[in-house]
Formats: sequence, C-alpha cells, structure tokens
Amino acid sequence: MVAHLLRLRFRLLVNGFRRSTWQLVGAIIGLVYGLGLLAGVVVGMVGLSFADSTWGRAVAVLAGALLVLGWLVVPLLLRGFDQSLSVAKLRSFPIPPRRLLVGLLVVGLLGVPGLVTLLASLSTTLSWLGEPAAMVAAPFAAVLGTLTCVTASRALESVGASLASGRRYREVMGVVVFVPLLLVGPLIGIVGGGVMSVADDLPRIAEVVSWTPFGAAWSIPGDLALGDGTAALAKAGIALATLGVLVLLWRRALAVSLVAAPPSSGGTGRSKGLGPFAAFPATPTGAVAARTAVYWLRDPRYGGSLVSLPVLVVLGVFLAATGSDWFLVVLGPLVGAVLGITLCAEISYDGTAFAAHLSTGLDGVADRAGRVVTLAVFSVPTVVLATIVPLVVLGRGDEVPALLGIGLGLLLTGFGVSSVASTRFLMPVPAAGESPFKTPPGSTFKSQLGMYVAWAIVFALSVPEIALGVAAVATGNVLLGLAALVVGVGLGGVLCVVGVRRGGAALDRRGPELLAALRSVQGA
Amino acid sequence: MSDAAPGPVVPAPGGAPDPTTTSGAPALAITGLRKAFGPKVAVDDLHLTVPTGSFYGLVGPNGAGKTTTLSMATGLLRPDAGTITVLGTDVWRDTVKAKSLVGVLSDGVALFDRLTGEQLITYHGLLNGMDRETVAQRTGDLLDLLDLRDAGGTLVVDYSAGMTKKVALACALVHAPRLLVLDEPFESVDPVSAANIRDILAGYVRGGGTVIVSSHSMDLVQRMCDHVAVVAAGRVLAAGTTDEVRGGSTLEDRFVELVGGRQHNEGPSWLHTS
Repeated sequence: MVAHLLRLRFRLLVNGFRRSTWQLVGAIIGLVYGLGLLAGVVVGMVGLSFADSTWGRAVAVLAGALLVLGWLVVPLLLRGFDQSLSVAKLRSFPIPPRRLLVGLLVVGLLGVPGLVTLLASLSTTLSWLGEPAAMVAAPFAAVLGTLTCVTASRALESVGASLASGRRYREVMGVVVFVPLLLVGPLIGIVGGGVMSVADDLPRIAEVVSWTPFGAAWSIPGDLALGDGTAALAKAGIALATLGVLVLLWRRALAVSLVAAPPSSGGTGRSKGLGPFAAFPATPTGAVAARTAVYWLRDPRYGGSLVSLPVLVVLGVFLAATGSDWFLVVLGPLVGAVLGITLCAEISYDGTAFAAHLSTGLDGVADRAGRVVTLAVFSVPTVVLATIVPLVVLGRGDEVPALLGIGLGLLLTGFGVSSVASTRFLMPVPAAGESPFKTPPGSTFKSQLGMYVAWAIVFALSVPEIALGVAAVATGNVLLGLAALVVGVGLGGVLCVVGVRRGGAALDRRGPELLAALRSVQGA
Repeated sequence: MSDAAPGPVVPAPGGAPDPTTTSGAPALAITGLRKAFGPKVAVDDLHLTVPTGSFYGLVGPNGAGKTTTLSMATGLLRPDAGTITVLGTDVWRDTVKAKSLVGVLSDGVALFDRLTGEQLITYHGLLNGMDRETVAQRTGDLLDLLDLRDAGGTLVVDYSAGMTKKVALACALVHAPRLLVLDEPFESVDPVSAANIRDILAGYVRGGGTVIVSSHSMDLVQRMCDHVAVVAAGRVLAAGTTDEVRGGSTLEDRFVELVGGRQHNEGPSWLHTS
C-alpha cells in the first residue's frame, strides 16, 4: 500500500516532467536550493557545537518552530505546492483511512521538502558534538519534529478539504487562509528591524516557545544538554501529544473526506438584476468591464491576489513604528507595482470560458480595455491614497507629486505590460470554484518567472519617472517632483494604450492557440 | 411547452439576408479539413456540406474528431489545412463576420459561471455588439423560452448540468445566428428539457435557420435530424439525408456497420457473479 502510493507519487512526478520541461527545471532549481540550504544548515550546526548549550537550544527551538509554521502556512500560500496525491483523487479506491494515512505520511516525508526538513533536523545532532546525552536524543527529536511538520501540514490540508464542501464556505476559507500571512509581516519586521536588539531575548523567547507544540520536540536535546531531564521528559510528552492529536485530526478528516460527496454546487448564490452590467456602457468593452467587476466581487481568486496589499500596509506601519519610515514612503509605488501586474493572470482565471470571447468574435482590444478599465476603477484611487495618506501623516507632503508620479507610472505601465503578457503566457491557477487548498496543475516556477520578467519590463519602462521622482525626493525639488508626476502619468498612459493595442492584436492573432493552451491546462 | 405554443419567439435567424452572401451558398462547407495534435491526427481530410435550412446530425464514436471539427468550424481551433465557409464567408479569413453568423454551444468549455443566468446571456449579447434594449428583450424571451425565468437570478455555477446546457444554448441564440453549431447539446439534459430544446431547434429550422448537432444518441438524431453525417477517425464515412444514410435499417445499426468495433461477447468470465 505504502510502496504503491510512493510509486504512484514518483510516477506522477516523472510523467509531469515528460509533459513539461519547465516543471523539470523548476524541480531541479528547487532541489539545488534545498541542497544549498541544507549545506548551510549543516555548517551552521557544526559551528553551533562550539557555542553555549543555551544557544544551541534556542536556535534549534526557534528554527524548528518556524519550520513547523512554514509547513503549515506555505502550502496554503503557494498554490502550486505539490499535492498530486489529493484525497479527492484517491477517494474511489477501497483504502482504509488508517493505511492511507500512513501512505500519505511516507509520501509527504519522501518529497523534496520532507527530505530537506528531515536532513536539516537530523543535522542538529552535529550541534551537540560535545554533549553525549543530547547527541543520542537529537536524532529522535529530529524525527519527531519532522513528523510533526508533515502531519500538521497534511492534517490542515485534509481538515480544510473535508470542511470545504460548500462553495461559499470554500470561498470564505480561501480568503481566511491568508490571515496568517498578515502576522508574518510583523515577524519580518522584528527580524529586519533589529536582530541585534532582540538577540539578547532570543533564549528567553525560545524558552517560551519550547513549551508550545511548535517548539517542544526541538527542545528535547537542548534540555538534556543543560541537564534538565524533567523538562526534556515533559517536552517529549508535549511533542508526542501534539503528534497524536494531529494524527487523530488528520484521520478523522480523511475519513470524512473519503466518504463525503465530491464537492459540488453547495451554495445558492442569487443576485437581483444585472448588477455592473447596468452600470457600464452597453458596448463590448463595457460588457467585459462589467463581467470583470462581477468577478472581482464574487470570485475569491481575484480578491486573493490582493491579499499582499494589507500585508504591505501592516509591514509599512510596523517598520515605521520601529523607526524606519522608508517603507511607508514608498508604499504608493509598491502598491502600484503590485496592482498593475494583476492582469497577468486574468485569462488564466477565465479558463476555457474564454471561448465565449473567441466565439463571439470579440475584438481583442475590447477584451484588453475592458479588463483594464475595471482594474483602474479601484486601483488608481488605491494608489493615490496609498501615496498621499502615509506622506501626509509623516509630514512629507511635498514629496507627494514625485511618489505619485512613480506610483501611477508603475501602475499604468503595469496595465500595458500585463495586457500584453497575459496573451503570451498562462499562469497555472486554481480552476474557477476550486479552493486554494486544491493544487493547480502545472509548475509555479514558469508562471513566477513570467511574472518576474513582466515586472522587470514594467520597472525598465518606468525608469524615466522613477529617476525624476528619486531625484526630486533626494534634492527636495518640488518642480522635479511635478515633472515626475507628469512623466509618470503621461508615459504610463501612453504605454498603457500601446499595451492594450498590442495585447488586443496578439489576442486577435493567437486567440485559438490561447484557448487550446487553456484547454490543455484544464485537462491536466 | 409544445410544438404549437408560440410563446416567446425564438430570435429569427439573421434579419435581412446579407447581400454579399451568395444565396445558394451552403450554411457550412468544409473541404480538405485536417488537424493533428502532435503525432495524433484528429481530423484527416474531412469534407462536409451542410445545406442551408437543414437540421444536421453529426454522429461518431468517441475521439472521432466531432468536437475538433466543430471547434474549427466555429473559429475556436485553427485547422492545419482545409477551408471552412459559413454561408459563403471563409471562417479563417473573415473571422469576425463568420462568427457573427454562427451561434456556438461548445462541449467541454466552461462558462463565466459566476454570473447569474440573466447576466450571462446579457454578456454574450453585448459581446456580439448588440444594443442594451435588444439584449434585454431577447434575454427575457430566452429565459422564458428555456424555462429559466426563476433561475435567472441564480449564479450559473449553482445550476444543474441540464440548466447549464440550457443557458449555454440561450447564449448561442441571443444574437440570432443563421447557423447554430451545438456540440452535445443533450448531454445530461433531462427528457422534458430535451424535448423542449428539440422543439425550439425545430422551430428555428422552420424559420430558415440551420442547425448542426453532434450527439451520441442515434435514436435522437434519427428522429430529429433531416440530414446526418457519420464521422470516424477524422473522416466522413457517410453523409446525406437521414433516410439515405440509414438506407432502410436503423441509424444505429447502420452506424455500427460503418464504424465497426462491435464486440460479440459477454465480457470475461470473472465478471459474471453467478
């Protein structure tokens, strides 16, 4: 059974490579990255063996706790995270939940992330070279910790999937899942803001964390090294109990999702009248804009792409509170850069429904323009607010024109670039109605590469207003700032129009090929 | 809804005849069509002529190339070779004009299902460049015609499979096309709705429109269609009026005879429980 699932797992992986070279490239890069990380960890651990035991324990506990947190959060955020053996697909086979659980656990352990986690955890043994008791306990603690990581991750996924039967519920969850990310902001703030000032408190923080399910397992060897046998025993108890609870949770969720009906239409969404269709002009462009507006409101995948915005705000406020307000100053341009590029995924979000545009003979320019219009309706005010409010609060109102120029320039240029880009490459996104718990087929690597390339082009095309704006802020010259604003809006506007035209022409030319690609993504 | 009930009128196929269209041109003419996906040839030198005003059935086994052919005929998939004309207009030369003449119901293609039924039909109407009043009137007519009035405010994603087919049909009809291309329109549609849809299509043909349907249901095609083409392995094996093609036997028997592959056994012994 276990061997069977493992073989299936690797067969899927290999077949995936055969389908797409990009996936192979992504996997190799991931592997190299993981190995590099691992080498760093091993070197660090050997180094740590010369330090005080308190430090060894603090590092193990904090890094371990972050690892567990990472296993919980990352799969929810990285929508392309590998979950090729989803419970839904295995549902139709007569496999008892218990055996399926063991199988999935082993499969989870033997993936690249699982192996890297296991090896990194085992390498903590090296940090106890001078402490025999701890050195013996460390491998066991490492295995316990790694199991906790994998189980926690899988359990959360299963619980989510088993709960997510109704459409509305799935959609709400899709957004709620991102809340933890908001907490990551302050964390990064702490780390970036002043590792030095916090450094002295690290052992104390570790002490607290070591009593939580996140840190208990990782603390056992450290406690032994410090000669605190009772604490080690208690933490072993906490760690085992954690693992037990997680396994039970996972098993229950598995049992539920194995018998639950396949997720189908659960909600009864109703809406009166034509909504945005009545508000936008009755032209093809207006229709596309209205349809996109409905989707921004109703489709969680669209709203989900905006989740980084509040994070940016929280991060900015936090950094400002710790004394460096540069982040808050550039908030507007950052928001502009993020929003401008969101159009890249739109045709991928449409999926094969895009056939409607094709079969009605819709003009490509109307398609592009409609989408830009809706995005512009809310993103232009957002960028303006995100620029003006922080600057005014910080008492740097004279820098508004310069930064507004950069922000709007990036936004408008982003509209243009992503209008072209989304006709060139498709992003693997969850299909309409799927929860973010589900994996989109295809590799995240290629889409991310496309995103970064698009971003690089946006910044390259916005160099004039960025240069003017930076110069204005550096010299305090308001005239230069106004020039940045004029250039940003003017040049950005021109590039936006050019992008819509070229994207539209590309759509007219490549429409059928794009639909074929969308079909193959859907059929994967 | 019965044959006689006039009720809301099906949008009449294409108002005034287009002067540039040669009056004698067939609704759909396909010559030398070819499409390969990598090494697999899906459509291989296919010739098909659909006379104007006919109710044309396209039957064939799974993977015969029906969907591929219809996708190419409606401008959704680029052929490798061959020409396709709709009422004299070349689909791949004058794409926009050809598309305005055709209403499409594609199989295996998603709808913008976060819209309500009413919004979705409106959307298709507006995409075709129609004005607001016409769209509103026709959307209302179509909702009544397809018995979707009550569901007009429900999101299409929450529709049953049959209702989804019906709303997709409404989207194909809203711009009053001259030719209706329907890929598997009766799949997972309940018998009552299927009968209603058949009536609507028959009325549409009587009004001068042309319908092409692909289907697996031989009985349905035999009863409903006046013309039929049997397609297998990307080629037309037989085409003509339904009576010509079936030649005295039933369409199903004729189909099996043409396509082959019928197995005369009862499966392996372990499948018999007694």
